[in-house]
Amino acid sequence: MTGKENLRVKKTNLKAQKKGLDSHTGSHIKAGSGPFVTRGNIKTMSLALAVLVAFGLPLVITSPTYLHIIVLMFFYAYLTTSWNMVGGFAGVLPLGHSVFIGIGAYTSTILSLQYGVSPWIGMMIGGILSVFVGVLIGLPTFKMRGAYFALATIAFAEGFRVMVENIDFIGPLNVNGPRGLQIPPQNYGFANFMFAGKEPYYYIILIMLIGVLALTWFISRSKLGYYLNAGGEEPEAAMALGVNVAKTKLAAMAISSFFTALAGTFYAQFSLFIHPKSIISLDISFEIAFIALIGGRGSIAGPVLGALLLRPVSDFSRIYFGDILPGLHLVIYGVILILVMIFQPRGIQESLTRMYDSVVDRVVTWSQKDGEA
Amino acid sequence: MKILEITDMVMRFGGLTAVNKLNLSIDQGEILGLIGPNGAGKSTVFNCVAGVYAPTGGRVQFNGQTINNEKPWNLCKKGLARTFQLVKPFATKSVLYNVVVGAFATTDNTKEAEQKAIEILKALKFEDKKEVKASSLTIADRKRLEIARALATEPKLLLFDEVMAGLRPAEVDGMVEIIKRLRKTGITIFLIEHIMRAIMALSDRIVVIHFGKKIAEGTPQQVASNDNVIKAYLGDDYGVS
Repeated sequence: MTGKENLRVKKTNLKAQKKGLDSHTGSHIKAGSGPFVTRGNIKTMSLALAVLVAFGLPLVITSPTYLHIIVLMFFYAYLTTSWNMVGGFAGVLPLGHSVFIGIGAYTSTILSLQYGVSPWIGMMIGGILSVFVGVLIGLPTFKMRGAYFALATIAFAEGFRVMVENIDFIGPLNVNGPRGLQIPPQNYGFANFMFAGKEPYYYIILIMLIGVLALTWFISRSKLGYYLNAGGEEPEAAMALGVNVAKTKLAAMAISSFFTALAGTFYAQFSLFIHPKSIISLDISFEIAFIALIGGRGSIAGPVLGALLLRPVSDFSRIYFGDILPGLHLVIYGVILILVMIFQPRGIQESLTRMYDSVVDRVVTWSQKDGEA
Repeated sequence: MKILEITDMVMRFGGLTAVNKLNLSIDQGEILGLIGPNGAGKSTVFNCVAGVYAPTGGRVQFNGQTINNEKPWNLCKKGLARTFQLVKPFATKSVLYNVVVGAFATTDNTKEAEQKAIEILKALKFEDKKEVKASSLTIADRKRLEIARALATEPKLLLFDEVMAGLRPAEVDGMVEIIKRLRKTGITIFLIEHIMRAIMALSDRIVVIHFGKKIAEGTPQQVASNDNVIKAYLGDDYGVS
């Protein structure tokens, strides 16, 4: 829903901007050194516009409920983008990423509750811890293929959840077992990663999302990205071309688990309450995979588009049918997944990208005609 | 100087001895053909050299270094590249992308790798298809892509595993030309091939194996008139008259 709206906003704004450009700087274009309206320029401009719109959104949407929904939307887009480094590029299907969310959330929360460490520092420590766990999980499991790998990661995630549920103390650290941890809402402020309103959380997750998207873009154009794709598609051929497939997958896993853990801290500070069932559950792991598969695995836009499409489905079905049909959103996810897999096996990003490209092309040709006339 | 030297190589899979005490060597700049009936162990020899299997016994030396237990990706960086009998392109990616993966063997920079890949595609007269998805290539182009990718790793020794299988005669001639041009650049080539016309035209020397054992070695003419070779291919009843 929101995705389409966003697109429409983008398009109309773009036209408006172009018209303004023609009237104001028209003479400049004619005198200038080449056409201003090129594919590259339009794409950069519309990207900048999308970012601008995203930054301005809380000025328009003031309802905390809707802002909450959008924050979660970005949260899932962020998670799925982090997941995508392993699940998309490396061509495996990890279904236990909630482990890293859990590690991130528990590390920063325990450190801040018991030792007064700022959650920002706890966030980094959680990320680093998560890297170790991610590599530890990856070492034995990356030798498996297909469903076996997926099952092994599920086993790790479930094992971790059961452990946390049954442990009250790890040494001096109070994990509090199945009851979870409550963060008392006091000492608001940036240093404590705690705010009264939703807006600050909105901007934090937005910046995190932009950061992780930029990193993904960078990786996809680097040696690591090429090697991940190659190793995911044809491991034997990749090895013969100099790719240490296991090593690149571990590198991707390390990066992915680090950034997933950061999201864990964010979630803990956003909801101020964590317990094993809510953040280490398979539900989250599966939802990430759903979003990635429907949006488009291995693409940069896929996870974002998937989250923009699926999260509202989940939230509104919970709001309207939560009492009558709990879990309805998963049924809807399933139906959407089946439809997407039949008609768009590479995710909705493929057709949306094509549509976007043709719009850009049309604008370019239209502006050229305009310039000639 | 010997670029590759195989001494007493043995490869067993359980009770099956696929390669049995094989000795062969390749000089720098040479084209060596390896032939033999189906199941003779040719591809196993390749896989042992390229690091896919560690040979059960014997020694493989590349440029004077023993490489018995070396992994494929390290061998690639040392200058040993190969193609696969059953082509394995990165199917969802473009031709250029495929070759860039190979080019990354010698550089970490994406721009440099891309430039090198384009140069190689130009040299193979393949540049017009650089944006084509690998999955939509014809079999001849897929074989060419295998070669382009392998070349991008800047090999000293290239192992060609039946790069001409499944090609039409005109395409075979094209491939023979490509390989002839490659050897002029100084690359040593180790070739498995079933198409006799091609291997006779290309090889300086040919080694024939049968049930994992070497049964003949020599120039193409010597091998073609060798009694053992004729028997291996046609059976014991065919004497040479």
